[in-house]
Amino acid sequence: MVDLNELVDSDRGRVDPRIYTDPGVYERELEFVFGRSWLFLAHDSQLPKTGSFIQTYMAEDPVLVVRQRDGSVKAFLNQCRHRGMRICRADAGVSKTFTCTYHGWAYDLEGNLINVPLEDRAYKGNLDREAWGALKVPRIANYRGFYFGTWSDETPDFEDYLGDMAFYFDAVADRFDSGLEFTAGTTKWVIDCNWKFAAEQFGGDMYHTSISHASGPIALTDQQVVRGDPNLVQGRQFGGDGHGSGGYIYPERNMPPNFFRGQQEHEFTEDHLDEIEARIGDTRMKKVNNHNTIFPNFSWLGFLWTMRVWHPRGPNQIEVWTWSFVPKDATEALKREIREKAQRTFSPAGVFETDDGENWTEVQQVLHGFKARQNTFHVGMGLGHEERNAGGLPGVTNDVFSEVASRGFYRRWHDLLVGKSWKQIQKEEAARVSAIPESQPELAEGAR
Amino acid sequence: MTTVDQPTPVLSAFRNTDLQTQHTVEQFLYAEAELLDDYRFDEWIDLFTDDVTYWIPNRETRPIRERHLEVAAQDEAAIILDDKFFLKGRVRRITSGISWSEEPPSRARRLITNIRVQPAAKPGELDVRSNFYVYRSRLERHQDWFVGQRFDVLRPADPASGYPFQIANRKIVLEQTTILAPSLTTFL
Ligand code: FES
Ligand SMILES: [Fe+2]
Repeated sequence: MVDLNELVDSDRGRVDPRIYTDPGVYERELEFVFGRSWLFLAHDSQLPKTGSFIQTYMAEDPVLVVRQRDGSVKAFLNQCRHRGMRICRADAGVSKTFTCTYHGWAYDLEGNLINVPLEDRAYKGNLDREAWGALKVPRIANYRGFYFGTWSDETPDFEDYLGDMAFYFDAVADRFDSGLEFTAGTTKWVIDCNWKFAAEQFGGDMYHTSISHASGPIALTDQQVVRGDPNLVQGRQFGGDGHGSGGYIYPERNMPPNFFRGQQEHEFTEDHLDEIEARIGDTRMKKVNNHNTIFPNFSWLGFLWTMRVWHPRGPNQIEVWTWSFVPKDATEALKREIREKAQRTFSPAGVFETDDGENWTEVQQVLHGFKARQNTFHVGMGLGHEERNAGGLPGVTNDVFSEVASRGFYRRWHDLLVGKSWKQIQKEEAARVSAIPESQPELAEGAR
Repeated sequence: MTTVDQPTPVLSAFRNTDLQTQHTVEQFLYAEAELLDDYRFDEWIDLFTDDVTYWIPNRETRPIRERHLEVAAQDEAAIILDDKFFLKGRVRRITSGISWSEEPPSRARRLITNIRVQPAAKPGELDVRSNFYVYRSRLERHQDWFVGQRFDVLRPADPASGYPFQIANRKIVLEQTTILAPSLTTFL
């Protein structure tokens, strides 16, 4: 039996590979990690009218997320209370009610049980419909049009849960006056790997990009790809409350068009410079736009306009669900440019994304070996070089080539897994953060 | 040159094509599959016109009354929506030797069947539907199946090219909504 306490040592930057393979650990993380975290459910734009619904998952649990008559969004477990049939089997649509196709129990948009076939004859007045509605997701947070849900009443409120990550999330979620919308449709595929490889990497790994994705740029330009010296590139990585955000620092608020950045996007940004700066400020325009994970499994790439959830499917498999997102008031031409760029780079056929899946499946394959699982993995990059509030970036940051976010991710995962209370977890986090030295002025200078 | 008979003016799925056209289209699609199966990507890319759109739309599960929404429109999610420039880019990448999801390369075999031909909107061009069953084996024991339908527009080509047609449009509709593969780096 795995000793849960020994699995992660974030102080030293070590993880035990059995966190990626052990069925017992997996079973426990469904309940203690996913069950006690805020999980991404949907974006406003996916639910345009009353009765609009999507079927998604909170870890392995299928949920229906539904636009209510009063405009709010609610969610409930997509499981009939009679014998457990999946109530709704379409991925998305618009409906007035949801009728189970096993014996016909029908639920309203909130998940209340509203109709039972042959009720008088079969139940003889003995069925309390109010008690037998679908299991509701008790807490739903609407953060700037992004809906998150949690089963737990112990988990702190969403903004508290985000902590300093709100600053980094807002760089995307709060960038434009018009807000954001998702491209219609969810692109889904399956990778045979543990969900933590994906979630952790999107939160904290800029280190792999020039190696793993060496061939990515080749697909996007027919010109010679000139690579800057990675020793000279400026960048920071944030890690806090299990979340991570990192990337390079740009010299200008707007970048010239290049193979990553289309003409339309450049022009739109130019036209909206003042608007964006008024909303998120100069620091974030230049320093925050790359890789991100909100713990545990919601990730995005700012400058590539892709968002995704890594749904766990057992310890050895994930389903990736992705969307591209655009400014709501973008021209059709810009929406197209963004959508195509996101699809081309990060999708099951993405010229970057496919390299990530290749790594994770190989890692997972190797972990079939017992020696491989007795090994120890190194998550110690930049350990001890954390700073607080460096260069206008709130919270704990480190060099872009560090693993401050990964260490934080595994720490939060482990704290939840072993069953620490949220109160204790937050108290310890606060103590750890305040023990980290405030930024040195030279660093702030260098990071400018 | 090409005669394609439509037996009835009603919406019939039956398409009767003269033998020569049917034969030429089939041999062309088999030749295309051979180039891909044999890793001759640089020759394969020349089979596409410069104005080609190569598109794999997203697909989702919908009830019958919303089945028209099952396959995504072009302003919705797609797995691939490329023009010639980016399709070429994929070939450049896959043949680069540093494209780790295809280096070492996968082995793939394409079965192209149910080839149906009818005249396209533009005179001289053909609308060709075909079904495909593509098997991919990767590294030690990984395997994927990609099954679906292609909607091609074929345009007569310069005979000096060695091929009777170029592909002026390709839409690929996969049968899976969740792609049960870690990557779609195999050309369909
Ligand atoms: S399982 Fe749903 S009505 Fe019986
Ligand atoms: Fe990557």
